[in-house]
Amino acid sequence: MQTHIRSKDQIVLALPSGLLKILEIQPHTNISIGKFGTFSANLLLGRPYHFTYEILDQQDGQSDSQLRVVPPSELNAESLADVVPTPNESRDEKIETDDGCEFEIVGENGEVIMRNNRLTIDDPSRQALTMEEIEELKKASTGSGKEIVAKIMAAHSALEEKTSFSLAKYTLRKTKKYIRRFTVLPLDVGMLSQIMLEKDPWRIMELREETLGLIASWANIHHSGFDGLHPLEGTQGAGRWLVLDDTGGLVVAALAERMGILYPTDTSDDEPTTSDPTTTANSPEPAPRIVHPRTQSATNNTLTLLHSNAQPNISLLKHFGYVFEDPSPTHPLHTHLKTLTWLQLLDPTADQLYREPPTIPDETLATLKSGKRGAYHRKRRRWERVKRVADETAAGDFDGLVMASHMQPAGVLAKLLPLLRRGAPIVVFSPTVEPLTELMDLFSRERKAAFVRGVQGREQGDGAPPFDEADFPVNPTLVLNPMLQTARAREWQVLPHRTHPMMTSKGGAEGFLFTGTRVEPAEGRVEARGKFQKRRKVAAGDVSGAVKEANSALKEADEAIKVSEMVDEGRDTYEDLK
Amino acid sequence: MSSRKPSPFFTPGPTTYPGSLAMLSLKRDLQMPVVLQTPNPTDPTASVIHTRFGSFPHTTLLNIPWGSQVIASQQSKRDAARGKKRKRGTADAAPDDADDNDSPVFETASSGFVHVLPPTPELWTAGLQHRTQVVYTPDYSFVLQRLRVRPGDVVIEAGAGSGSFTHAAARAVFSGYPGEGAEKRRLGQVFSFEYHEPRCESVRAEIAEHGLEGVVEVNYRDVYEEGFTLGPEAPRADAVFLDLPAPWLALRHLSRTEPSPLNPATTTRICTFSPCIEQVQRTVTTLRELGWTSIVMYELQHRRLDVRRELVSVAYDGLRGVNSNAASVDEALTRLRHLEEKTMEFHGKGKDTDTPAKKEKKGKDAVGRDKQEAIRRRERELQVWKEGRLVHRTEQDIKTHTSYLTFAVLPRAWSKEDEERCRKKWAVKTDTEDSNGDVTMKDDDAEV
Ligand SMILES: C[S@@+](CC[C@H](N)C(=O)[O-])C[C@H]1O[C@@H](n2cnc3c(N)ncnc32)[C@H](O)[C@@H]1O
Repeated sequence: MQTHIRSKDQIVLALPSGLLKILEIQPHTNISIGKFGTFSANLLLGRPYHFTYEILDQQDGQSDSQLRVVPPSELNAESLADVVPTPNESRDEKIETDDGCEFEIVGENGEVIMRNNRLTIDDPSRQALTMEEIEELKKASTGSGKEIVAKIMAAHSALEEKTSFSLAKYTLRKTKKYIRRFTVLPLDVGMLSQIMLEKDPWRIMELREETLGLIASWANIHHSGFDGLHPLEGTQGAGRWLVLDDTGGLVVAALAERMGILYPTDTSDDEPTTSDPTTTANSPEPAPRIVHPRTQSATNNTLTLLHSNAQPNISLLKHFGYVFEDPSPTHPLHTHLKTLTWLQLLDPTADQLYREPPTIPDETLATLKSGKRGAYHRKRRRWERVKRVADETAAGDFDGLVMASHMQPAGVLAKLLPLLRRGAPIVVFSPTVEPLTELMDLFSRERKAAFVRGVQGREQGDGAPPFDEADFPVNPTLVLNPMLQTARAREWQVLPHRTHPMMTSKGGAEGFLFTGTRVEPAEGRVEARGKFQKRRKVAAGDVSGAVKEANSALKEADEAIKVSEMVDEGRDTYEDLK
Repeated sequence: MSSRKPSPFFTPGPTTYPGSLAMLSLKRDLQMPVVLQTPNPTDPTASVIHTRFGSFPHTTLLNIPWGSQVIASQQSKRDAARGKKRKRGTADAAPDDADDNDSPVFETASSGFVHVLPPTPELWTAGLQHRTQVVYTPDYSFVLQRLRVRPGDVVIEAGAGSGSFTHAAARAVFSGYPGEGAEKRRLGQVFSFEYHEPRCESVRAEIAEHGLEGVVEVNYRDVYEEGFTLGPEAPRADAVFLDLPAPWLALRHLSRTEPSPLNPATTTRICTFSPCIEQVQRTVTTLRELGWTSIVMYELQHRRLDVRRELVSVAYDGLRGVNSNAASVDEALTRLRHLEEKTMEFHGKGKDTDTPAKKEKKGKDAVGRDKQEAIRRRERELQVWKEGRLVHRTEQDIKTHTSYLTFAVLPRAWSKEDEERCRKKWAVKTDTEDSNGDVTMKDDDAEV
């Protein structure tokens, strides 16, 4: 977690309206929030995150405003106010969620308009507001916000007194729009997913934050504990995941965040203002001369991104300081993110980048112009990288696969399952359920059994039905415990006497995950055990009728042919119910 | 640099090894944790795992690639020897005679198998012994995501309970083992608190057994009373997870007043996990009073889906797991016409033989192997696994409510001196008139 706001950080300003705005903070520039006002970026630099500021009125002769940190006590004052229960909750809610048109109080010039007749409350006793609250409210608002509140108070003081409480209550909420506050948040993956979901959900396959969390868990994403660029003995490297990402890089970012390779280590000039052992431990030791490792050369904690265009689309990583076309050599993704095309993986020799460019002897090279020499070296280095990444990917032994792509999962798994080490997790995300029900079906118990029968039949040449490869686009015995799931977080409002789920939220794609584990079947004939034996006993003592016994015997026979999968409890319960 | 074996949770290596925790996957929802051992030469039978899917000597599970399917074993020689003794009428042929000189030989059983998987927090959560209510995968995934827990972070957890959340948090913070030359990075750690002594001991033992010492520290303590501080410099937490009956009683110990358990350099993120709304309300009120901000509360709905093929047709009559109703008007008419004909045909014979199933019901013997075989053959011929319509439905039993998740943050303390220093460093020039490079935000820029 970032300790303080550093220059060139991407930060998020959260406005009272709920608007989230990303900006890159540059020293000695002004930040302007529309009619809220303009202030210097220097007022935020070096300060902690998560502070809420209020833009103060400009002093005479100044082009920008000062900021005031709003203390939490002031921020929380409103929510702590214990009001009399409001029986008619729906009314309250409606006013809260309106966008200002229905319930306009203050016009552009600050005059009170009161366009909405909701302000004339029929039953004011439900809208009690204590005098303390009103005082608190006045205190809370300074600058133009304060003015507005004052005006509203003045305006409704003409109303009956009991109404004034309720009006004040509403005003308190509505002035959120006018009190010129904002909160500074760090731009991390969760925040970016939230912003993208609002702005451009299709670009990120409508992937919600709760689903990102599930993906990271089921794919067992973590730091390997080994930082070095050299692999552990006897392994390809520790912590290597294979990724397909059609979310513009959001999934890569989420995984990288969990692997500790998303955020550049702090090398900026502005050190934290409070000395803290934990942060100084973070900064790298001053090295006499920094030799940057080659691009995509790390062996531990790596993500290998397979893409179907010439270039991967991971442009969202720019928010974390990584640009694929021009990576900063100090960014961890520069070494830890590896990219290759499907062609480079499956038919490398057909890719010209994979083919070795001709070597030029040193003597000849020395005679070349420096530009040409540079181009030659660049070409060689690119070839070396492409070849290295393609070869090590083809060698497999990956620790897991995460797929968030529009491609058809079955074909992808058919090619990639062999590249996973045994026991490695497989996670496939889809915004809609259909591609994943199809995938689940490819691993159904019955299909698996048919596959094994088919393979055995082909080997032994018994009279089994012909084995049609098309029915088995992926070897169903390579995946254990296939599972389909979905999750959705529902937000609640928690206020004294007014606690309830939010009245509205975003619809759209539900978002599903297929998960499973890459395994290797034992050689030879394998038969399941379990219910099978219990049944036999039951059946033997059963006198309740031939049909029942026949059924049980059938099931038993069925169990016996089940070759690669244990009884799926869910399925069995379902069948038993029928 | 150290003889320490990496935890099988983080670096399982290519094969299983003695002392490693392995998860035996018996079926989708049945995972069995086992610490693999080289068999004790004096009593080899002691290292056999018995499951309802067969018996598995440790020797068959050791030093094999993770993710292998292992077939059950059965004892051969020993049983045979015992049988012989019995036949000879030896008096001492007790059924569990252990001092038999023949060392037992295991051979592959005719059925039963498991898969040997490397441990993950997901498998551990599914297979662990419940000493308390536990936090399951959907909830802890969301919690750790929302708390922004990353490698190198320090997390406080109370109570440890059954250790489910502990393992997931350990994976999230892990960035290396202490004392392995990794000091340049900050090492992630979980500081877990539990006031129930036996539970505390159990979690501690598991942490050791799982190679997680140094990553997780389990503390025996009542956090309501004694808080979380473990010395002047510890734990320096970045994130806090409270799964306690009364989180509000623990909150006062999470302040920035020294000695504080919090990292002074970062915003502290917190999540409390409570099943009842009243607990949430008390927690939220206390959080507000203590100056926490960005308070939000969620509940997580998680479902697993079953996928199957729905087979509806008269043509499936006689098969199992199908619906042999008419699938269309045409099928209905055909079937009814057929029945009409049959009725006519058998009219006057005095026997009600309206369905083929009944007709064939000739007693137990008739429903024998032949018929089963016939049905199975028909099923295979029909390839029912690719027929019908693919449907999905929510699994039979769902957890409709686990707990409410309350999140909040506590920003760093910021003194007047801090602000002064910052103002000096980032002085605002008053004469700045050029607005080059200014970042402007219009508030009507509502599309973000
Ligand atoms: C629901 S369990 C936690 C389960 C755990 N999160 C898991 O995933 O396995 C709650 C635990 O908190 C412990 N606990 C309750 N009050 C405590 C206190 N004041 N200090 C420390 N532990 C406490 C209880 O003994 C219990 O084991």
